[in-house]
Amino acid sequence: MEKAMTRLNTKAGRKNLLNCILALVIATAFLFPIYWLISMSFKTDVESFGKIVTYYPHEFTVDPWIMNFSDPDFLKSLKNSGVIALLAMTVSICFGVPTAYGMGRYKVPGGKGFLLSFLVSQMLPASLMLTPMYLIFGKIGLLGTYLGPAIAIASGSIPFIVITLRPYFKGIPVSLDDAARIDGCGVIRSFFSIMIPAIKTGIITVVVISFLNGWNDLVYSMTFNVKPEMRPLTANIYKFQNKYGTKWNCIMAYGAILVLPVVLLFVFLQKYIVGGLTAGAVKE
Amino acid sequence: MKRNWRKLVAAVSAGMVMTGMLAGCGSEKPAVGESSSVDGNSDDGNGSKKEVTLWHYFFDEEGKAIERVVELYNNSQDKIHITSTYISRDELMNQYTIGAVSGELPDIGMVDSPDMASYISLGVFEDIDDELQEWGELDKFYEGPLNSCRDSEGRLHGIPNNSNCLALVCNMDLLNAAGFDEPPTTWDEFREVARACTDPGNSVYGYAMCAIGNEEGTFQYIPWLYASGADVTTLDSPEAVKSMEFLGDLVSDGYMSKEVINWTQADALNAFAAGKAAMLESGTWHIALLDSDSMNVDFNYKYALLPKGEQNASVIGGENFGVCAGSEAKEECIDFLKFMMQPQNNADWCEIGGKLPVRSDAMELKDFWTEDERYAVFSETMNFAVARGPHESWPTISEAIYNAEQSVLLGEKSAADAMKEAASVVDPILKEVPIAE
Amino acid sequence: MKNKLSMASKKRLEGYGFIMPGFLYILLILGYPLVYNVILSFKDTNVKNFAKGTSTFIGVENYVKLFQDPTFQLVLKNTIVFTLACLVVQFTVGFLFAIFFSQKFTLSGPIRGLILVGYMMPMSVTAMIGKNIFGVSEGVINDLLLKIGFIHEPIEWLVNGGTALIAVIAVNCWVGIPFNMLLLTSGLTGISEDVYESASLDGANKVQRFFYITLPLMKSSILAVLMLGFIYTFKAFDLMFIMTSGGPLNATDVLGTYAYTLSFTKYEFSQGSAAAIVLFCCLFVVGLFYLRLISKEDD
Repeated sequence: MEKAMTRLNTKAGRKNLLNCILALVIATAFLFPIYWLISMSFKTDVESFGKIVTYYPHEFTVDPWIMNFSDPDFLKSLKNSGVIALLAMTVSICFGVPTAYGMGRYKVPGGKGFLLSFLVSQMLPASLMLTPMYLIFGKIGLLGTYLGPAIAIASGSIPFIVITLRPYFKGIPVSLDDAARIDGCGVIRSFFSIMIPAIKTGIITVVVISFLNGWNDLVYSMTFNVKPEMRPLTANIYKFQNKYGTKWNCIMAYGAILVLPVVLLFVFLQKYIVGGLTAGAVKE
Repeated sequence: MKRNWRKLVAAVSAGMVMTGMLAGCGSEKPAVGESSSVDGNSDDGNGSKKEVTLWHYFFDEEGKAIERVVELYNNSQDKIHITSTYISRDELMNQYTIGAVSGELPDIGMVDSPDMASYISLGVFEDIDDELQEWGELDKFYEGPLNSCRDSEGRLHGIPNNSNCLALVCNMDLLNAAGFDEPPTTWDEFREVARACTDPGNSVYGYAMCAIGNEEGTFQYIPWLYASGADVTTLDSPEAVKSMEFLGDLVSDGYMSKEVINWTQADALNAFAAGKAAMLESGTWHIALLDSDSMNVDFNYKYALLPKGEQNASVIGGENFGVCAGSEAKEECIDFLKFMMQPQNNADWCEIGGKLPVRSDAMELKDFWTEDERYAVFSETMNFAVARGPHESWPTISEAIYNAEQSVLLGEKSAADAMKEAASVVDPILKEVPIAE
Repeated sequence: MKNKLSMASKKRLEGYGFIMPGFLYILLILGYPLVYNVILSFKDTNVKNFAKGTSTFIGVENYVKLFQDPTFQLVLKNTIVFTLACLVVQFTVGFLFAIFFSQKFTLSGPIRGLILVGYMMPMSVTAMIGKNIFGVSEGVINDLLLKIGFIHEPIEWLVNGGTALIAVIAVNCWVGIPFNMLLLTSGLTGISEDVYESASLDGANKVQRFFYITLPLMKSSILAVLMLGFIYTFKAFDLMFIMTSGGPLNATDVLGTYAYTLSFTKYEFSQGSAAAIVLFCCLFVVGLFYLRLISKEDD
């Protein structure tokens, strides 16, 4: 950053400035819906129904947020969302990453068939999976638990992980394998201490995405779990769409509340993620 | 770089451990809860009462009211303990459909009346005809709502809980300004008022309704269909075509917004309350909403019968309750339904929800259904309001109807073509299984 | 010789050891639903015969009926248009963004992070935002376009079929672009700088470097992203379900929503399963194509 400042007059410095301006333009266009969401969440009922379009809350109110927070079950649903998301993430990573590794680095008979079956598993519309899945979960006693939705969500995340990470594992130079072997690393140890760190950018990506899949899930958590005390935060959307019509301001506050922890998590992990993402460019 | 990576790994693994722990505590409780609802013999604080579940989609005040009835009942006897659960309407319907296959259903379930026939056919609701006949109070119930609980052989699988119907509400400030003192009574007058009240400059339309592509859209069209003298068995008759043409012209002449095809009844009500529509096809439950603070209505309005075509017409809506298949406490659940539908309980409930009772002796218990002139309009409308179905394939019939309506309102098809197409879907269905009388 | 063989079989065992847990998981959880739907699609189960248990196998009749149904033809067309439009836009723009933000400049990190927020939002909320901003008289998009004089009459976005499809495509791309950017960025940074350095020594310019070095090296990531993008877009459901309910008049009805409506609204269970299987088969063909492409690279 300091370097950039001092080089403002150089060619590189001007390029930096131009890039920043372009980035800001992109961000403005792209983040407008987010701005709209936040601005809407501070509008009154009347203003949010919008006879006239207002670009910022002319009459500022926090009522929509209070409507969300004052729900007696708010903390409970927050916890439920967290549990389901972490559980789904854990299951996805534990099953997905080793499989991706096995498919990326081992030539096994039927390898293509495995890959195809992971692809195939994602090809049915989720809504039509509900009934048969419900039948299975009923048999093995997963209805009305956190594990049920988590397992269903992970069945979408695992193939995703396999398909996206497989090329990464494949791309690790064979020399790294040999080096590990010479150092006397066992298969398991080499997987954990050499292979996984070697593709950390990819790992971070799939960790974040499999967490999000759980955090944002609505259908599975609602279908396999009708107990109100076990519903996730996402289920609240129904509270603001009812005979009164759509409470735009409350829905928007609801959206902001849902996305906020994720953004915070992201900001917290930002230095790892951005560090990871640029690792290829910044040679240490 | 390397250090950061280690920290991240540490953080993630800590997260995983925590999940394990949280999940550990989480999954234990539900296991207990589940076994209690399945064997129905739990004794967590309720003595030897059977645990019974009830699913409904009553929200807000209505939700509290139903919970009060449940609590009253729980305290009044010691055989069962009912737990009521709110599940949004869409979700509830999915649960019934999945439950029809898996057998996992609540003990008592609520359902929107036109959907009841399908669920009866799918085996979701138990036949409780004998028990209800024994009760000896069925003659107090209005025939229309009661009919929607019958299967094709006329046997009852549930009991109606409340009724509503549609009428016309007018923004009298706008009507007066356009030179009308009273709401219109005929289609010609209606069209004239709609024309005169339309004010494109202020984006005010003469009329608003809901023509959305789902059951709500069909619900709002049915009164116009029947007022023309046609019905669902004669969708391609000249009368039916005329009714559709009438609505289509309102849009093409600019008296009604094209956006009605995306409006729910709540959206249409909001447009009316915001002064953007002079007239609205309005449901019984709208009165309570117009009275509530959140609506903020700052003009005079008046309810009237929907304008008369060849005849007066309207449509019945409402919810039914039934005992679901596989319940181990069928007798007790029926007992609860009888309790809930006692005249006083029914009247109290409907007052809160702004609906009409389903039994005549409940109607007599409160005078506002006749005294409040807004409710009086609806009470009168009930005399000629028609039911949708009952028919197990009603959703398919309904789809044909709202599709026809949308294509006419959007100007994509002529009313004649659209209705012919609808009839080509509906007629074979009704020929195979006629609507139960 | 003998030693070598056992080495190979040991490696194979290791490989299966890594692959099997994930594979069995998917087989157990998703295998049955697939078989269930296939079987159902060859029967005539619907609201009339479900409880009576009188449904029978009727072969491919459901499929014949589907392909003769004009609504289904429209739905198929919508699905293809939606998928291709989204894929082209979100991949191209996502790739451009990935390249742009992989340059080192002051704001590259933070803004790349912010753009990802669109992808982190639950689809239900995104669809609600879409429904709101594409309103006719209350929508901010029309208001903006009117203000800058781009249009003189409000566009009836979700009221007319053509514009409604454009609106759902736009909203889907808003989610898809960050998704593509994220996955492609990771692939992009996986390329070692040394490769570029040696190339610039050889006198290759930027465009040449992109087409001759970046693209080939990223081939397998790109194919994976395209394949996943195709699957997710082709079976889209939530977005239409909430934003337009497939309307007006099926204009935004896609295979995912259509199959749902058949099964859960009209209780035509077998027809719904048949529609789902058609969706499945379309994806399956694309999946085979993907496998062919990557097996060239593998061998």
